Amino acid sequence: MTSETKAKIAIAGGGLLGRLLAWRLSQRNLDITLFEAGELSMPGGACWTAAGMISPLSELVNSEKQVYTQGLQSLNLWSDWSRLLEQQSGSAVEFRRAGSVLVAHGKDRSELVQFLRELQGKLGESAREQVQPLDAKSLAKLEPALHSFEQGLYLRGEADINNHRLLPVLLHVLRENGVKLRERTKVNCAPGRILLAQGDEAFDGVIDCRGLGAKGQIEGLRGVRGEVMVVESREVVLQRPVRLLHPRYKLYAVPRSDGRTVIGATEIESEDMSPISVRSSMELSSALYSLNPAFAEARILETRVNCRPATMDNMPVIQNEQGLIRVNGLYRHGYLLAPAVVKQVENLVAQQLLQVV
Amino acid sequence: MNDLLTLYGKTFNSRLLVGTALYPSPAIMRESVQVSASEIITLSLRRQNPAQQQDNVFWDYIRESGCQLLPNTAGCKSPREAVELAKMSQEIFQTDWLKLEIIGDDYNLQPDPFGLVEAARKLVQLGFKVLPYCTDDLVLCRKLLDVGCEVLMPWGAPIGTGQGLLNKYNLQTLRERLSDVPLIIDAGIGAPSQAAEALEMGFDAVLLNTAIAKAQSPVLMAQAFKLAVESGRAAFNAGLMLRCQTASPSTPTLDMPFWQQAENMLQE
Repeated sequence: MTSETKAKIAIAGGGLLGRLLAWRLSQRNLDITLFEAGELSMPGGACWTAAGMISPLSELVNSEKQVYTQGLQSLNLWSDWSRLLEQQSGSAVEFRRAGSVLVAHGKDRSELVQFLRELQGKLGESAREQVQPLDAKSLAKLEPALHSFEQGLYLRGEADINNHRLLPVLLHVLRENGVKLRERTKVNCAPGRILLAQGDEAFDGVIDCRGLGAKGQIEGLRGVRGEVMVVESREVVLQRPVRLLHPRYKLYAVPRSDGRTVIGATEIESEDMSPISVRSSMELSSALYSLNPAFAEARILETRVNCRPATMDNMPVIQNEQGLIRVNGLYRHGYLLAPAVVKQVENLVAQQLLQVV
Repeated sequence: MNDLLTLYGKTFNSRLLVGTALYPSPAIMRESVQVSASEIITLSLRRQNPAQQQDNVFWDYIRESGCQLLPNTAGCKSPREAVELAKMSQEIFQTDWLKLEIIGDDYNLQPDPFGLVEAARKLVQLGFKVLPYCTDDLVLCRKLLDVGCEVLMPWGAPIGTGQGLLNKYNLQTLRERLSDVPLIIDAGIGAPSQAAEALEMGFDAVLLNTAIAKAQSPVLMAQAFKLAVESGRAAFNAGLMLRCQTASPSTPTLDMPFWQQAENMLQE
């Protein structure tokens, strides 16, 4: 097929969803254009702020079962897709399937019990197979830096991906695959059309993954503020994502290969994009310090703030009409759900194109 | 029967007040509030950027419930902080109702009784309808009434503990001594039976959040609490029987000689 006869697909929004979709569809003999309001080399969305955790079990406690089932599906897809992306780009994306560890301080022991109980409530007895209780000894073996903790849980199946490697790798592969990249281009979406300041452009299919950029087009779409910090420590080395359970202050710490650790994340019902608050930075820092006091001498390299796009049920939304698919609301589950959601959208695109032909 | 709850001159059918935090999603929060039949909901401005309050979809969503909003001063540690937050809440939520909360201890979030009285005095002067979250201390409660609070919200147990009514002696004393004051048990309620018990004891209402929001099915738990509160109130109105040591059959045992009955009683 020549380029004139290829179906033309426009993707609006160059965040995680937009890039993954563009990548997947670019392998299907389609003519893809990716529109991004900002710059693709410096993603401004939640995908860059996030820590890249893929933790279906930890997230299930506060979510619906669908988050878990799609999370498991995504885990397997990430495993394949990260390998493919590495082959295609020659660069590592650092997908790590080393599980995650949950700990709580002595007086918050009930948080671990409660966590297990909630998992059992939602998964039945199979929860037990996926969660391994840790005592001081087994914990120290798994995560030597957490030697002051007496108990914890090991969630063997969980994973994470280094989004600061993945997103540039995706961009590289999109270029290689001939995807047309149109940055600094703010657009609106309509069935079969991309609306630009200077006029409309026609496409066979439009996919809107603009996140909060689509506010007003998706009912109840809101931003949920999140704040993270990036620290660097030579003394404390974690092997895998660690979560601290506490009645009020939740913390995760995700170690990167370069000695940095991403810690987060607050969750505030507000679309406030201003810098991190003193309160939040104190809470995150003191929770981190309580993991291991040697973190006190870690250096704060960066703080990041963003708003996660979410709908009122905090579940992803896919709206499908002929010529326009809108995908949004991945909330705090971007990396956990994106592959499964992208798969669904791929199928919808294929169906729509069949109808056109 | 017309059994309304009257707080600051406003009447309500429901005697269950619920919070809006900690739910898995806003949609589940709203459905739970609906099912609970609550007419008063608390919400917190805490952690919001004062400079950025326009266009908050989440607040709009809560407002749409049509409930009386009861902004709280959660997380405040001094009267000054609480007064400032109260003014901000008043502006944003357009209500002079306020759940006054001043924390005296970081770990169990125990109210600071001294700061509470000071802040309540100030806020009443400013025209707020103050519902203070307080301990079950009679003297503290009296002082709060003295400075102009018309409703009190003594704790059952520390926030989020789900321990129920820990000091029933104190609570009973409050109920008896402050018989004309609307008393709402706030915090510490973990199970519907505990809420029912509070109403059976004659408390006017209960306020809770965690027990519903963190349940595996918040909506179902909201219903459980609604029923429990109705049941407890009905029981209070009906008049509970007194507890007694001796079993007394509901059907008279005509065939048993009375001296045998007396013998049984002596054996107790």
